[in-house]
Amino acid sequence: MTAYTPEVTGTGARARVQRFGAFLAGMVMPNLGAFIAFGLITTLFIPDGWVNKIAGTQTEVSTQISNVVGPLIVILIPILIAFTGGFRVYGHRGGVVGAVALVGAMLAPVALQLTPISLNGEDVAPPASIAEIGPTILAAFILGPLTAWLLKKWDGVIEGKVKGGFEMLVDNFAAGIIGGAMAVVGLYIVGPITYWITQGLGWLANALVQTQLLPLVSIVVEPAKVLFLNNAINHGVFTPLGIEQASDAGRSIFFMIESNPGPGLGILTAMLLFGPRAIRPTVPAAMVVHFLGGIHEIYFPYVLMKPILVIAAIVGGATGVLWEVIFGLGLVAPASPGSIFAWFAVSPPDQVILIMLGVIISAAVTFVVGMLLLGFGRKESAVDAELDLEAAKEKSAENKAAAKKA
Amino acid sequence: MTTLDGSSVKKLIVACDAGMGSSVMLASTLKKQLAKNGVTVEHSPVAHIPSDADVVVTQAGLADRARHVVPDIPVVPFQLFLGDPAVAKVVKAIQDGSTVEV
Repeated sequence: MTAYTPEVTGTGARARVQRFGAFLAGMVMPNLGAFIAFGLITTLFIPDGWVNKIAGTQTEVSTQISNVVGPLIVILIPILIAFTGGFRVYGHRGGVVGAVALVGAMLAPVALQLTPISLNGEDVAPPASIAEIGPTILAAFILGPLTAWLLKKWDGVIEGKVKGGFEMLVDNFAAGIIGGAMAVVGLYIVGPITYWITQGLGWLANALVQTQLLPLVSIVVEPAKVLFLNNAINHGVFTPLGIEQASDAGRSIFFMIESNPGPGLGILTAMLLFGPRAIRPTVPAAMVVHFLGGIHEIYFPYVLMKPILVIAAIVGGATGVLWEVIFGLGLVAPASPGSIFAWFAVSPPDQVILIMLGVIISAAVTFVVGMLLLGFGRKESAVDAELDLEAAKEKSAENKAAAKKA
Repeated sequence: MTTLDGSSVKKLIVACDAGMGSSVMLASTLKKQLAKNGVTVEHSPVAHIPSDADVVVTQAGLADRARHVVPDIPVVPFQLFLGDPAVAKVVKAIQDGSTVEV
């Protein structure tokens, strides 16, 4: 055990939350390619996308291609998530029944003519067809794994009891019947329930944005991130909320809250200039991986090393969210990984400058607060010396090994 | 504290939460460092660490979960994704075929 790797004292609760979050994120993250395809097509081809902006007119080709946008987000992505959820529980067959079941829940608002909650006093009507439904991510989170689990249980019950030669018939009909039955359950039960939960969450989220209270979420988000709950929070909570909002408004601030690379850059910059001397040389590479590569995990250990720095991340993160709320900014799709390149790719063309400024401002604020918390590097006495010593020891051991080999 | 015999390591797993980001990065670094030693280096989500691994390295914040998943495989927690001494120790043990306390 070195100063870098203190005894692990993780609490059971944290691991449990991490596990549940990883379960949700595990359904979303293997499908990020679809999100990125959706994001790119959106920023390029929607009416005020890059193509029309550069052409200076509404081009026919972009009008044609923009037809793809809606189905990608409201149909394909929920189905992929349900499939992945089912796949994780029971392989390919599990994925298939999960996807089948989701289609029932997906169509519940059309079939049952559910009227959405009006957010700004406008008249709202139930969806007339599948073209008007919202993305059913929450239903996918539930029905994908649940239906696969039912199939797995069923297969377990009949295992060894099927007459030779009838296995394929029984297997396929079991999947078809369970998937089909769960589609009906999805339509009448899971679909409406998740629909109203999503509507309620959407209303709450909208209220947080309207009252400009949204920056307060940074108080929870930034500390949770450095405890490696980043994926759980982003893809378990904000991505579903954001998808819901983006399918309606074309963009969402929820894609920006966790994935903003600004605070991490601020932390690393503060560490580079004012952190413990021994670790400063590791920082520049970490900055590249974090800010350009979008792997935020790389800055978490620096915060865990100087936990007080989490305050800098909170203040910087909240500043970024406030900036985004004030100017009504949003990304069209999840920026994942949270790299500045991914942010650029999913920024609406008319907001890209303000969005980039927001990242820089949150980085700058985090840096300044971090610098103050690190006491401009002058507080580095006992800890620093210890770390220096440790690093020196390692270094000399390495040198010795190298000398032996040479 | 367990003792890890570097010469017996044939498969090293780098685990992270999603098995897509930080673990891939560290795994590609270690792959290069251990290319000559005939060690398979793979990355995985911490919830799905393969049971035939000889040693697992993961960030300290995920070590509890890793130990829960593979209680019989030595788990080496590290702090920094780049240049962490704990990882360097394991790499050195494998390269030299020596033993190390983890």
